[in-house]
Amino acid sequence: MIIKDVVCPFCGCLCDDLDVEVDGQTIIKVQNGCTLAEAALTGNNRLPAPIRRTATGWEEISFDDAIRETADILLAADRPLLYGWSSTHGEAQSIGVHIAELLGAVIDNTSTVCHGPSILAIQEVGHPGCTLGQVKNRADVVVYWGCNPTEAHPRHMSRYTTFATGFFVPEAQKDRTVIVVDTRRTESAEIADEFIQIERGRDYEVLAALRAIVRGKGSILPREIAGIAREQLFRVAEICMKAKFGAIFFGLGLTMSSGKYKNVRNAIELTDELNRHTKFTISPLRGHGNVYGSNEVFTWITGYPYAVDFARGIAFYNPGETTAVDILRRGECDAALIVASDPGAHFPHAAAAHLAKIPTILIDPHRTATTPLCRLQMPCTMAGIDAEGTAYRMDGVPIRYKKFLESSYPDDADILKRIHDRIREVQGS
Amino acid sequence: MRVILETKQRKKPFLPIEAETIIPRNFLKGPALTVFEGNKERLLSDLFWIFVEGTAVSPDKVEVILKGDTARIKRVGEYMDTGTIRIQGDIGMHCGNFMSGGVIEISGNADAWLGREMLGGSIICYGNAGHYCASGYRGEKHGMKGGRVEVMGDAGDFCAEYLTGGEVHIHGSCGDMAGVEMKGGQLIIEGDATRPCGNMKDGTCMIFGTVHHMLPTFEKIDTKKLPDRDGTVVVYKGDVANRGKGILMIKKPLVGETIS
Amino acid sequence: MTELLVKNACVIDPLNKILMEIMDIPVRDGRIVESVSAGADVIDARGCLTLPGGIDSHSHVCGTKVNFGRYMSPEDMRAGRTARRGKMHVTSGYYVPTTYGNSYRYSAMGYTTVLEGAMAPLEARHTHEEFTATPHQDMLANTLFDGNWAIMEAVRAKDIKKAAAIVAWTLSAVKGYSIKLTNPGGTEAWGWGQDLSSIHDMVPNFNVTPAEIITTMIAANELLGLPHSVHLHCNNLGKPGNYRTTLQTFDLVPDTNNGRQTLYATHVQFHAYGGTTWRDISSKADDIARAVNAKPQIVMDMGQIMFGRTMTMTADGPMEFNLYCLHHNKWSNHDVELETGSGIIPVLYSKKSLVNCVMWAIGLELALLTKNPYQCLLETDNPNGAPFVKYPEIIGLLMSKRYRDEECATLNGGTEQRTALSALDREMDWNEIAIMTRAGQAKALGIDAQGKGHFRTGAEADIAIYPIRCRDVDPTTEYRKVIEGFQKTMYTIKRGRVVARDGDVIVEGANSTFWVNPVVPDDLNVASDPEFVKKFEEYYTVRMGNYPVQDVYLPRGKCIRTEAAL
Repeated sequence: MIIKDVVCPFCGCLCDDLDVEVDGQTIIKVQNGCTLAEAALTGNNRLPAPIRRTATGWEEISFDDAIRETADILLAADRPLLYGWSSTHGEAQSIGVHIAELLGAVIDNTSTVCHGPSILAIQEVGHPGCTLGQVKNRADVVVYWGCNPTEAHPRHMSRYTTFATGFFVPEAQKDRTVIVVDTRRTESAEIADEFIQIERGRDYEVLAALRAIVRGKGSILPREIAGIAREQLFRVAEICMKAKFGAIFFGLGLTMSSGKYKNVRNAIELTDELNRHTKFTISPLRGHGNVYGSNEVFTWITGYPYAVDFARGIAFYNPGETTAVDILRRGECDAALIVASDPGAHFPHAAAAHLAKIPTILIDPHRTATTPLCRLQMPCTMAGIDAEGTAYRMDGVPIRYKKFLESSYPDDADILKRIHDRIREVQGS
Repeated sequence: MRVILETKQRKKPFLPIEAETIIPRNFLKGPALTVFEGNKERLLSDLFWIFVEGTAVSPDKVEVILKGDTARIKRVGEYMDTGTIRIQGDIGMHCGNFMSGGVIEISGNADAWLGREMLGGSIICYGNAGHYCASGYRGEKHGMKGGRVEVMGDAGDFCAEYLTGGEVHIHGSCGDMAGVEMKGGQLIIEGDATRPCGNMKDGTCMIFGTVHHMLPTFEKIDTKKLPDRDGTVVVYKGDVANRGKGILMIKKPLVGETIS
Repeated sequence: MTELLVKNACVIDPLNKILMEIMDIPVRDGRIVESVSAGADVIDARGCLTLPGGIDSHSHVCGTKVNFGRYMSPEDMRAGRTARRGKMHVTSGYYVPTTYGNSYRYSAMGYTTVLEGAMAPLEARHTHEEFTATPHQDMLANTLFDGNWAIMEAVRAKDIKKAAAIVAWTLSAVKGYSIKLTNPGGTEAWGWGQDLSSIHDMVPNFNVTPAEIITTMIAANELLGLPHSVHLHCNNLGKPGNYRTTLQTFDLVPDTNNGRQTLYATHVQFHAYGGTTWRDISSKADDIARAVNAKPQIVMDMGQIMFGRTMTMTADGPMEFNLYCLHHNKWSNHDVELETGSGIIPVLYSKKSLVNCVMWAIGLELALLTKNPYQCLLETDNPNGAPFVKYPEIIGLLMSKRYRDEECATLNGGTEQRTALSALDREMDWNEIAIMTRAGQAKALGIDAQGKGHFRTGAEADIAIYPIRCRDVDPTTEYRKVIEGFQKTMYTIKRGRVVARDGDVIVEGANSTFWVNPVVPDDLNVASDPEFVKKFEEYYTVRMGNYPVQDVYLPRGKCIRTEAAL
């Protein structure tokens, strides 16, 4: 049986045109997806049942026991941390926030290691953006700054930008100019019309220089900025100002290099300046499939998109203080619940190591690099495969994950609901 | 009146303590205050040995001394308007938040956000300060508006971010982007700084050490001899990328060095 | 079966012409009934003012741009925060509260139904998720069509039936309630960074004018028999001299519906400016009100601004960018492919600013100069003019000339020359306020037929009991009591259940979302039109099959079917 228009849950592109062929409970073929989609959808390494660590290894336990023990661990803690959320659907994320509120816990999502700095920049200067279809249909100039979509978002260019035909861009690539800015010549740089090779950690200066040029103050600039000839910057600024519609996309090259959110802020302010001349938008290339969803859900419930601390009964937000990596590095938390993410793989060593020192529970369909750090793991459905629910694409468009396989695993939303209810029961509210 | 708070040993010493109730004024009513340890409310006496010497009729005569394992105690001096706090050791985040008067002295190091959104009064830190020293809060248009922060050691990144008024004096060096988004007030750095005063709108910043990666969007306008300093400084106006009219004075600009 | 008896209520029910009668209100299973048994729960209203639950006919509380407003404003989130308490969740935000924040604050004020001012069809799912998290108000969604490509093509082809067919499919797909047009044509121009300056300007590349879009959509709306009329945010919002655009727009509106208005013009204060620049801006509220007084087919709402900080957020992208260029505050923009736009920017309305003082006066003038209170409703375009928690102060201003005079004395000195407010003596009475805050909205939105906005037998038992004894309070002098009274109900009852008491919400909510399914003949079903489908799949970036909002998003949805007159 072929199921059409399946939504791929892997990356922020949230391509919803996949055709998946299933035979019973096995996925045979994935059409239209990229290699990452194939791997995500056809992988088969799922943990069969909940496991608890013993002195010598692991033992299988029931969901009832696992849920009860999880609630007990979290209730006993003085500073519990609920982290992850980006690979599951909004319904589970929402319950996660309510659990954190009940417990007086800290809840954080993977923005913390990814586009958190973009959010910080947006909180300073706003976000002049648009949905991806605007870019597809209108953009004649596309800028990729500090990201390598060919590898990390393989269909971004074919579905939304360079190679996509749009209403006003019928010849796709022929009608578009692509500018790539990176510290090294990536595969994405190979298809660029203009490649700017930038010295590592110097994006802020280059963005400042571009802003000055767009403002007509280019004459004060030195001949070379961060290893780039002034002339190239003048040329690129000219391309941008003459565009009919320019779209900037950026990734970890900006968010995780020196200056972090100030880099992104400067890129946004450059976009603002360009809007005085022509139409320009800027958008982050979100990594996880539903990390933006966790930002949206956290925000409408708590007011903040990540790093929310309920310890004082109100919602408190201060990245650098209430972010998971910082809390772990400082050894502050005394219990952790990890849902739908893999901090064992992605966190700095010192932070991940702390997870092993405290009682940590993982809710994830697979054994991951986080499993060895845990006391207890519960498998669950995979949103987008055997569970349906809401996800938010990198541009904010909400799409419903399809469920095209039945499984005996519980939906993580159900597991979380049971943990929530057990906590409520014990607290007597 | 002198109130001495000495930390007791804790079962989980890595849990942060939020102690915004520790301001001189509150001790006029006696030491029966509460603080938070993680998500649990605790009596001050659960976490501190408390010694009170003498009395006071007004809060400006109250001196609070903190000693022991104080590095994780946050929000001490928050909204303080008078009196003195002396910390004999390190202090946690948000020391002196929203302070409008009085004096805070820290003999050791201060964690991040020292003197955040300060309005008046003075803070002196004899050790190093962390990131966001004398800065603002996420999303606000203004940071520190008045008062004085002095750090004898180094400061971390984003020192005096959004500085709007008052004076910040760092005797050591700063990390990355000191004075970023400055729009008023005065920032003085005796040591080194990297990429200072990005997006500056107004205010004055003086740097007497080495400036790494001077931003290309500052316009040199003058050289000057400052009355109480040797040698000359180069005076820049900027940040031109932001229509800025700030003044940045640098003794030794150094452009183009690569950061590792 | 649950029964409730509200005793000794001083009822004002304008739609049933009940004016300050002390009476009992019997409720069974969430509806007003003739009588209840002796076993019913009893609430003694003690002679206090009792109104049908408040209805907000234009408020930005749920959806993409509202959430944008939240997460870009951590400084506002911390300013308005409250702790978890009883049944109430943590809330954050003063001018853009979180969904629970909105819900509790509306409930405290006695509001039980809210129309979300703008929902982009592509992002409807987000709006519906937030509706569910605004649990104490029944919700409805104004659905944006102002920059809709398929609509503009139908308009160019002068094909009203086609336009109606597209509206029908879209509304039922995204479970919207009504047609919303925001700066029609202008939001598409903004896709290129441009705007339109008159209702007869051509939309670039589409060659239709705003006037054509408006008239076609009005005709389509009436053809489909939708319960609400077209809901319009006129072109040229905020521009000095724009009153002409507004009057020209009003002249386009036929009187084709016997039951209700044919056009709902929203936040008209922002569209009532004389003058040519910010320097000579003046009030043209009298011209606007005169036009509305002569046209029963138009209902407007005030769009009152109140002094202080707030957040502007509208689908009017170009307007928001202009505010950015003026004030240089943090600015967000979000254009939605093939559909519409949006912009968000914080503002400060200051008494020192002559322009802001003129704006403040205009909103009040519109209300005071409109003869029929059903034609000018109390709104602030929350949060654009002011957060909705300021409604009680606006009530105070409308009911008391003394209060208005006291406020006028604190304004920028040049205000009096530019406005007529100080010369207006009218003081609204309790009945008129009741109309402007619920009865008028119910009628304009077409939800009186759904049992909202009145206490007729069979109506939904949404009841707000305010701590005000009308006969003992003189609103013209005791405006402080009026304001306090409207800020916090003694009881807010929704579907027969007490949800708020003295400002605290005491139960978990279970709201409903009203939506419309306009039924059209099969040959007008655009989903089977190969041309429509082809363009959809080619130009959107989501598949047509994934676009409709699934039923699961409306756990207690109330679908209103209409039959098209085709």
